[in-house]
Amino acid sequence: MKYEVLISGKTHIVELERRGDGWQASIAGESGVTADVSEIAPNIFSILLSGHSHEIYVTPTSVGQIQLQTGGQEFTAEVSDPRSWRGRRHSGAEAEGRQQIAAPMPGKVVRLLVKAGDAVEAGQGLLVVEAMKMQNEIRSPKSGKVERVLIAEGQAVNAGEVLCVVV
Amino acid sequence: MFSKILIANRGEIAVRILRACRELGIQSVAVFSEVDRKSLHVRLADEAHFIGPAPSRESYLRIDKLMDVACRAGCDAVHPGYGFLAENPALPRACSNVGITFIGPPAEAMESLGAKTAGRQLARRVEVPTVPGTNDPIEKSQARALAQSMAYPVLLKAVAGGGGKGMRLVRSDAEFESAFRDAASEAMNAFGDERLYLEKYLERPRHIEIQILADAHGRVVSLGERECSIQRRHQKVIEEAPSPMVTPELRRKMSEAAVRLARAGGYVNAGTMEFLVDQNLNFYFLEVNTRLQVEHPVTEQVTGLDVVKLQIAIAAGHRLPFAWESITPRGHAMEVRLYAEDPENNFFPSPGKILSRHVPGGAGIRLDEGVYESWTVPNDYDPLLSKLIAWGNSREETIARLRRALDEYTITGIRTNAALFRRILQEPEFLRGEIHTRWLDELLQRPHAASSGSPGAQDADSNQACKAAAIAAAIWQARESSVQAPAADSNKESVSRWKLEGRREQLDRTL
Repeated sequence: MKYEVLISGKTHIVELERRGDGWQASIAGESGVTADVSEIAPNIFSILLSGHSHEIYVTPTSVGQIQLQTGGQEFTAEVSDPRSWRGRRHSGAEAEGRQQIAAPMPGKVVRLLVKAGDAVEAGQGLLVVEAMKMQNEIRSPKSGKVERVLIAEGQAVNAGEVLCVVV
Repeated sequence: MFSKILIANRGEIAVRILRACRELGIQSVAVFSEVDRKSLHVRLADEAHFIGPAPSRESYLRIDKLMDVACRAGCDAVHPGYGFLAENPALPRACSNVGITFIGPPAEAMESLGAKTAGRQLARRVEVPTVPGTNDPIEKSQARALAQSMAYPVLLKAVAGGGGKGMRLVRSDAEFESAFRDAASEAMNAFGDERLYLEKYLERPRHIEIQILADAHGRVVSLGERECSIQRRHQKVIEEAPSPMVTPELRRKMSEAAVRLARAGGYVNAGTMEFLVDQNLNFYFLEVNTRLQVEHPVTEQVTGLDVVKLQIAIAAGHRLPFAWESITPRGHAMEVRLYAEDPENNFFPSPGKILSRHVPGGAGIRLDEGVYESWTVPNDYDPLLSKLIAWGNSREETIARLRRALDEYTITGIRTNAALFRRILQEPEFLRGEIHTRWLDELLQRPHAASSGSPGAQDADSNQACKAAAIAAAIWQARESSVQAPAADSNKESVSRWKLEGRREQLDRTL
């Protein structure tokens, strides 16, 4: 089974295979990287990723995303199930007009996912802001075009600071 | 010694006290409100009695109900913990009316030391330095004249205050009118008492407090200091002992002052004298907390003493077996207060059900808490979940242990402020001990740049963790889909597991 996982602005294709009472997983494009996965308690996974031991706590959120905690780090993921193509990212109402995208919290821009002129879909990631070791993807509220990007990768931003504009 | 103690509190402190009771062979009696039936203190106590609805004024603050339980259960002592009725002189009076011992100071000592202005008056009488300002509540015009004469900045504070309510910083004469008006109305709303007093505002002071113990036979001892300068909006979030800035000389002077004050106020049992210390190591008395403090464990870790057991022994009339000169801190201890609140959302309380958790252990780690997995944190009370305490031979070792323990500590279902501590514990100023009471508020104003140290290595770690997280997310989804699959054909009867498995196989082949 293959799953598309959107996490911190990057998409990973994860391939899963049941093995005994656990799983064997691999990530597309990462040859030689295999993971031995065991669910040690409900929603707590021990993952040996090429021998490196990780413990991941999984909590689903009400908005259809999955929250993941590990050793003080936190991620938010969205999974597309190839069988249902439920397209979580394309649901809900879309914003209209010129949209200023502001930082929801003080932090640092760790990754830019778009540049000025790019066409974007509603729900598509624009950039990733890290605050208190948590990476938060900022998504486009509408389908349209990126008018301008006002910040650079690595830049510290204050809450409310405009990061980019989508028209 | 007592045979049965009523614990007039809830949460982690009720658990802390009942554990001390159990070690002493004393029966413990818990009380609980409607929303606390499943709380840990109820589960662990020898007896537990219902005292009313969730709002504390209808349960944990009802002296009549507490006395009724104490009498019915045959308790011979009451421990108030902290918060709720712990500093209300009506509780020791109610206890003495029914012949039950109150584990804490006499009502008179609470009155002469506990109220802020009374405490300051007493301090001046016994020559303990106080922050320049007024002893008494002050009128607006007088206050303004005084502020001008001792030079701005000044602080307006509510006489009945606490927790930063009814407090205003005034930096210039132009701000005075509106600051006075705001502080008075805030004090009126919070405490039903609009009276204010005025204090000189110290720049970058440290909050350092002395833990004292006094027995009923005239012996008063100091257990040394705790540094509590890491505060968010006047609420302590990290405490440590000893203070990185206190010298043996300063410790002796502050201890002598605290002991003098306790004697002058006729104090008995455990208490804390709070001081502000300026950059030149001058100390100024702030107030007395006439009760056990949240942060007492750091003192316990560096002195090897059990403060709660000593409180019980003192209340039972025992003599303290040591003098304060004999107590010197050993090693270093530090506590962080883990709250159910969301640092990403302006520290808004985040009550709810704890879905899963993993607690740290190992060398030098102590966890005082009142929570467990599958318990729902009620939104009716203070959202303190756990006090995570580390100790070590040095401040460095203690901080390393605390960081390690914070990384092990995982809780899901609710948000906690753990990320705040991870951030503080790697700030260079904090590591050097260069802190003051407004340090944390200033830190939180600054955007949080990436962590220092070796960014390359951390990014690689983060990248690895991200991949592992992606795999966990996929597995969770895979399992979820297989659970939800029958629901898609909900108008039919249940689908055979064989059929589902067949479909799954087919899909695997097509992908």
